[in-house]
Amino acid sequence: MSLILDGVGKRFITKHRVVHTLENVTLEINQGEFLCLLGPSGCGKSTLLNIAAGLEKPTTGKVYFKEKEITEAGPDRAVMFQEAALFPWLNVIDNVEFAMRMSGMPKKERKEKALQVLKMVHLTEFQDSFIHELSGGMRQRVALARALTMNADLLLMDEPFAALDSQSKNILQMELQQIWWDTKKTIIFVTHDVKEAVLLADRVIVMAANPGRIKKEIKVQLARPRCLESLDTVYVEAQIMRELKNEVEKVAKAEYDSDWDLEKDTILLGPDHYLGIGL
Amino acid sequence: MVYELGVKYLKVWQPNGFPSPINIAKTLEILLVDHTLGIAVLTSIMRLAIGYGISLVFGFLFALIMLRFKALQENLSPLLLGLQTLPNVCWVPLAVLWFGLRESTIIFVVVIGSTFAITLAVESGVKNVKSIYLRAAQTMGAKGLKTYQDVALPAALPEIINGMKQGWAFAWRGLISGEMLMQVKGLGEILIVGKEKADINQIMAIMVVIIVLGLMVNKLVFERVEANIRYRWGLD
Ligand SMILES: Nc1ncnc2c1ncn2[C@@H]1O[C@H](COP(=O)(O)OP(=O)(O)OP(=O)(O)O)[C@@H](O)[C@H]1O
Ligand SMILES: [Mg+2]
Repeated sequence: MSLILDGVGKRFITKHRVVHTLENVTLEINQGEFLCLLGPSGCGKSTLLNIAAGLEKPTTGKVYFKEKEITEAGPDRAVMFQEAALFPWLNVIDNVEFAMRMSGMPKKERKEKALQVLKMVHLTEFQDSFIHELSGGMRQRVALARALTMNADLLLMDEPFAALDSQSKNILQMELQQIWWDTKKTIIFVTHDVKEAVLLADRVIVMAANPGRIKKEIKVQLARPRCLESLDTVYVEAQIMRELKNEVEKVAKAEYDSDWDLEKDTILLGPDHYLGIGL
Repeated sequence: MVYELGVKYLKVWQPNGFPSPINIAKTLEILLVDHTLGIAVLTSIMRLAIGYGISLVFGFLFALIMLRFKALQENLSPLLLGLQTLPNVCWVPLAVLWFGLRESTIIFVVVIGSTFAITLAVESGVKNVKSIYLRAAQTMGAKGLKTYQDVALPAALPEIINGMKQGWAFAWRGLISGEMLMQVKGLGEILIVGKEKADINQIMAIMVVIIVLGLMVNKLVFERVEANIRYRWGLD
């Protein structure tokens, strides 16, 4: 068992109101598992990830990583934030070396390792560039490279590819699959994108909002490497989509105060509607 | 040309109240040849370097201490802001009483003028650092002083450089006013001597020297550092 969340709850008390963000989330994540967190906006996915990272303290419940309770952030759990969170005052290779520098690794070793991971994300040519000179996709790759240098067994990723165009996204998804396969890290991956979840995950956790909690757990037992077009993938996708739909609708209704209706689109969501594929 | 026009034809300036550039150049030459200027510039620059160096050390130190202890921050920030509005010259009488007419008095006036500008810039710069940088650094194992050294200070550098520039300007002012009032060797003293001799050329010559020195440091040091920062951060 790698990470254990035991009855985790979180409330934010602000000036205007109390936000009940998470309630009684209990989850066990195996060593080497690829877990995707899926849920409507505001259901507490980022909060949950931050708690696992140790950046945020749960109001109730406990979090254990490798049998030890998590009290603070540390380099044994690498985090990839939604924005790349790279340092603009350092160039690419210095950014990638940062974590190793903090751990006191000698310069030469650091550089070697940094080049090695930059190679994994195909960015060696840009090692001397500054962050503002990179595209959004390249920044996320640098952030991924930086996370990979940490030798952390657990990688926490908060919608890392959300802001990218579908081309770069596809490439990065494939790269991530490969890297996960090669390194056997435990990965918790937050996403809005059902396709992405099915493509990557061993297990998908669908969350519900207000308060944030686990609604359904779906195991994705498909052969790897997976591709988006295969029928099995589409089938699992539809299954998850149905779970998610109600939740998204609920949140949308609450947020937009209107008669929001997703029913119209369900023809695309049902498993028996392949729109002529079987002809 | 502009000068000639002003004096000869329009009679807007008195020749002895506003000297010609040629006369200023001549005075500069005289001052250069008898080494007064060279010695004065060297002494002033030495004082400035020492004073500004001390300001940097104290400025950063105070800022770090204030950042470490919240209570200090709340109480000291307004006080420092108040002290900053106090012109440097005001410190001279006090400094003379405390230290006498010595080298260290001048240095004190320089230091007191520029330290707080640096302290305030470092403090507010570090406080304004985006929390995402600090959080990211935390997850990568940055702790304690390392967080300051490798994240907070570099992230705050654009603001800190501004404070250092301001501190430099204040240091200059403190130096010249100190030298003028205390009449200990240096550019300020020559300025006062010029006043006593009613030699407008000498006064203007020294003013030119002060401006040129100030500009040179700005160009050679601060502008380079700033250009480097702008390049790294992509601010151009
Ligand atoms: N620091 C905070 N202070 C107050 N409320 C907060 C804070 N952080 C999060 N919240 C609240 O907690 C809820 C969940 O936020 P969170 O960022 O975890 O959602 P999310 O599932 O990641 O959403 P998204 O998919 O849009 O990123 C939101 O309603 C938000 O208002
Ligand atoms: Mg989020």
